[in-house]
Amino acid sequence: MISPHTSLKRRLTLWLIVIVAGLGTLLLIEAYTSARKAADRAMDGQLQAASLTIAESLQWPEGKPTLEMPASALQILATRWQERVFYWLQADNGLSITRNAELPITAAMQEKARHQPVYLDAVYDGQPIRLSGREVDSAGWDTQEPVQLWVGHTRRGRDLLAQELFRKSATRFAAMVLITAALVAIAMRTMLAPLRRLRQALRDRRADDISPLRLGVPQEMQELIETLNRLFADQRHHRDALLRFIADASHQLKTPLAGLQSTSELALTRRDPDAWYQALTTVHDSAERTSRLAGQMLSLTRLQHLGLGHERQPLALDQLMQEVAIDWADRQDSRDHDLGLAIEVTTPAWIEGERWALQELLNNLIDNACRYTPSGSEITLLLTNDNADGDAERVVLAIEDNGPGVDTESLARLTQPFERGRRQDTHGSGLGLAIADSIALRHGSQLKVSTCVPHGLRISLTLPRCEPSEESET
Amino acid sequence: MKRLLQSGLGLSLWLSVWLSLWLSPGGIIGVAEANEKLIIEAALDRQIVEPVLAAFAAENPQIDLDYRDRSTLEVDRHARDRDSPPDVVISSAMPWQLALSNEGLAQPLEAPEVDQWPAWAKWRDEVFGFTFEPVVIAYRLELASHMLPPETHRDLLDLLTHYRQWLDGRVVSYSPRDSGVGYTLLQQDARYTPRMWDLIAAMGAANVQLETTTQRMLEGLSDGRYWLGYNLIGSYALLWAQTHPDIIVQVPNDYSLVLMRMVFVHRDAPHPAAAKRFVSFLLSRRGQHILAGQTPLFSVRDDVVGPYTAQRLRDQVGDHLYPIPINATLLAFVDSLRRQAFLRRWDREIQILSE
Repeated sequence: MISPHTSLKRRLTLWLIVIVAGLGTLLLIEAYTSARKAADRAMDGQLQAASLTIAESLQWPEGKPTLEMPASALQILATRWQERVFYWLQADNGLSITRNAELPITAAMQEKARHQPVYLDAVYDGQPIRLSGREVDSAGWDTQEPVQLWVGHTRRGRDLLAQELFRKSATRFAAMVLITAALVAIAMRTMLAPLRRLRQALRDRRADDISPLRLGVPQEMQELIETLNRLFADQRHHRDALLRFIADASHQLKTPLAGLQSTSELALTRRDPDAWYQALTTVHDSAERTSRLAGQMLSLTRLQHLGLGHERQPLALDQLMQEVAIDWADRQDSRDHDLGLAIEVTTPAWIEGERWALQELLNNLIDNACRYTPSGSEITLLLTNDNADGDAERVVLAIEDNGPGVDTESLARLTQPFERGRRQDTHGSGLGLAIADSIALRHGSQLKVSTCVPHGLRISLTLPRCEPSEESET
Repeated sequence: MKRLLQSGLGLSLWLSVWLSLWLSPGGIIGVAEANEKLIIEAALDRQIVEPVLAAFAAENPQIDLDYRDRSTLEVDRHARDRDSPPDVVISSAMPWQLALSNEGLAQPLEAPEVDQWPAWAKWRDEVFGFTFEPVVIAYRLELASHMLPPETHRDLLDLLTHYRQWLDGRVVSYSPRDSGVGYTLLQQDARYTPRMWDLIAAMGAANVQLETTTQRMLEGLSDGRYWLGYNLIGSYALLWAQTHPDIIVQVPNDYSLVLMRMVFVHRDAPHPAAAKRFVSFLLSRRGQHILAGQTPLFSVRDDVVGPYTAQRLRDQVGDHLYPIPINATLLAFVDSLRRQAFLRRWDREIQILSE
């Protein structure tokens, strides 16, 4: 019934209406019944007075009950609402003494009236009436038969009285509802004021202002403020990281460019074509590295910009690894290293992933291993079950080398851009692991960096298996 | 083409009839009730009320009045007739009329006249007292040459005591057993003073003659059979005295009961619309104006001017008029036990001095 976009005011009003309507119905029902009861109480007094007046006129000449109907009793019974009046006087032997209507009096009613005066609702002649019955007997010289006296009248006065009482209650209730509504409206304005203040504060902020909010708000809203502040802090970190990346990137680009400049300046002072050739070779190498660096920065930025990958498809990871390993075995860069592949899971190992990204990841990991290990080191690509959890539903992709490894302090920072484990002796861009980490993140995983025994580095990520692709099966 | 013409003719004829009915004083309601009957059971001489009936008939020519003049107890019996109930019931036997209302045999009337009607002259908006008739003493003119004519109830008792031999068999009054009006008047007298029983005893000693209608008492007085009448309905007596100068009508000076004819629309009225229109007419200013000007029934309404109005009667006889109240106390009079007891006592008192 309430959509998430419904305004708070409307929600509160709706709740209030539901509560008031529910309570109001109950209250009005109660008011109605109590009004009827009050009217009955008041008017039963008239019945009693009439009944007593008639009882007073009863006489037993020669032991037989007789009555000269007192006119005033009937007038009392009629009340100022001019009711139809009924009376019924019966001897103990069941014979009617006098009556003006055949009232619907049952044996049960008579039995009740025997002990004490009773007041009952009944229907006579199609009209609801109110009856009062009592038993009258009197001491005397002779034995005297008791008589039952019933009096009654229609309910016009009672209905009018009850209506009046009910109208008063209903009016009081309506006034109360109106006052409550006014108070709630004021309360709502007051309660919602902090929200308005927050909105104002947010609106007044400059776009680049990410300092924490300082606002006096109620406890319930404090959490919201804290969340907002956490968001601001995250933004701050993100921006800091971005600035650092830009600074680092500029620095990284500046070094080769400065080298290019000095090499070309030096060559220009010479007239020797050999020197020019040498300088040009240096310039070429350096430009190639710089271009590669720029390419990697671009790919890292793109990965981070793209966010989570949504174009994942089932693919056989072992095949992909095989392809990449074969590709690398033919390359110049890996000729000094012993590159191995170990698939220790049931194949094909289906996972959901983006082929180009995983290729990039593997390339970066192998390239990294080749660059930072001495010639002759062993580099192994591994695909195993996630034995740590004893879980065959997940596979672990890892690369291990038996190079010098990295000291424990630097381990955690390795995946940051431009971290080279304190090694300045290579031509690596320092972005390989950062890119790999971004790709791992895109696949819902994370790069785990650890050291091998006795020495070397292990980088791994865990990926869940998936249903094989139907296209591949056919 | 011919058929079309015929139907067109029929339509225009129908329209003109409809229009004339619409424009008639009866209004559109008259159409539905054209040539309707209206049965009125009344304990009220047609001769007296004729001007009112005539005026009503003139205003409502489509209603056939069936006016049935009867005695009070007969009217009561017919009102209880389940098989052929009347439309309107009029009676001077006030307790019986109120009892009929109490038994649910009357239906409430909703009309502007009802709201204007004085509260003391109506009950439950069902029964209305529409006349104001004093209860009087009437005597032959010769009586005055023999004795001081009675002006109060005490005078009457004195006359009956001192001139018992002379008045023997010449006093007339209502039979409480056979006349609802007579019974009501005596009950009401007895309520006001217990000396009433002395009067009854004295009348019994004078061999009082009992009649069932005022009309017969008046005839007896004119014939010379009776010399003195007690508890006559003033409206009849006054009208009679206008044409019979030998009859003197005396409104008692100590207190005078006032009887009101009561009218109601029967619950099972076969012609309720006509019945309601008739009662509304009786209560209307026009109806009451006719009542005050052309009948001796005395109008209840204060805003009506004429020779016979309650206001004028009050001005003439002073403030000792005691209308029999229209309320639930009347119901006690029709209680069978009370009626039996009253009649037993009456029987006892009427012969207490004769023995």
